[in-house]
Amino acid sequence: MPGGDFHPVYFSIVAAWILVAGVGVVASRSVVRAAVSMVLCFLGVAFAFALMNSALLAIVQILIYVGAISVVIIFGIMLTETPAGPRHQFFNRQSVIAAPIVVATAVLVAVILVSGDLLTAGETAVNPGLRQLSSLLFNRYVLPFELVSLVLLAAMIGAIVLARREDRQ
Amino acid sequence: MNAVEWYFVLAALLFCIGAYGVLARRNLIIVVMSLELMLNAVNLALVAVANFVPAAAGRGTLFVLFVITIAAAEVTVGLAIVIANYRNRRTVQADEYHEMKG
Repeated sequence: MPGGDFHPVYFSIVAAWILVAGVGVVASRSVVRAAVSMVLCFLGVAFAFALMNSALLAIVQILIYVGAISVVIIFGIMLTETPAGPRHQFFNRQSVIAAPIVVATAVLVAVILVSGDLLTAGETAVNPGLRQLSSLLFNRYVLPFELVSLVLLAAMIGAIVLARREDRQ
Repeated sequence: MNAVEWYFVLAALLFCIGAYGVLARRNLIIVVMSLELMLNAVNLALVAVANFVPAAAGRGTLFVLFVITIAAAEVTVGLAIVIANYRNRRTVQADEYHEMKG
């Protein structure tokens, strides 16, 4: 698989897409609108993966996030009910304190990540092929692969037990 | 700044947008969505490392696959907890759960 270059124009478009959709999730008043923004943000991340020349992850992102996780969250919205109305408060009391903390964290993380010289990164993407990836997954990382299936099974059973209607009496 | 650092800055910004949602929103479902944004930001940084740092090729992609799997499990269990709480309390607003407040 050939390596891909860094496209500043495409990157800016995708980055703006992701950030606008992310702000839409956090700032929107209606839950459904937040969910739509979340789907758009996941799509933007899938575009970013495709831009970084990893088509497999872009497809997985669209399948799992845009497909499955969004459907689960929309089911959650349908099963619960949020009070609407202009008087309703959407942010809790610590939102004023949270804003400067979050901005400071963003600046700190960005500065640390950018100023770190632990990475000798090139401008061109090096992308392993599917064949190399799958041999890595099924030889060296086969134990985490099996463990993650166990985690999925436990999560499935746990979700059923938690969300089941209790009619024991 | 080279390519991987631009992606790091994007990931940091997305992570902190999600963190603000987790900290400041009242609706628990939006909190879960913001958690997903944070996981996506970490995935972005991992894919950037995997694709622009030659020493990490392949492993970053695998880590992202594992993170996506765990995120799917996490959102399922998280929403199950939200729905179970909704059944008991008829609300999904986080600050209305105050039984254990002294």
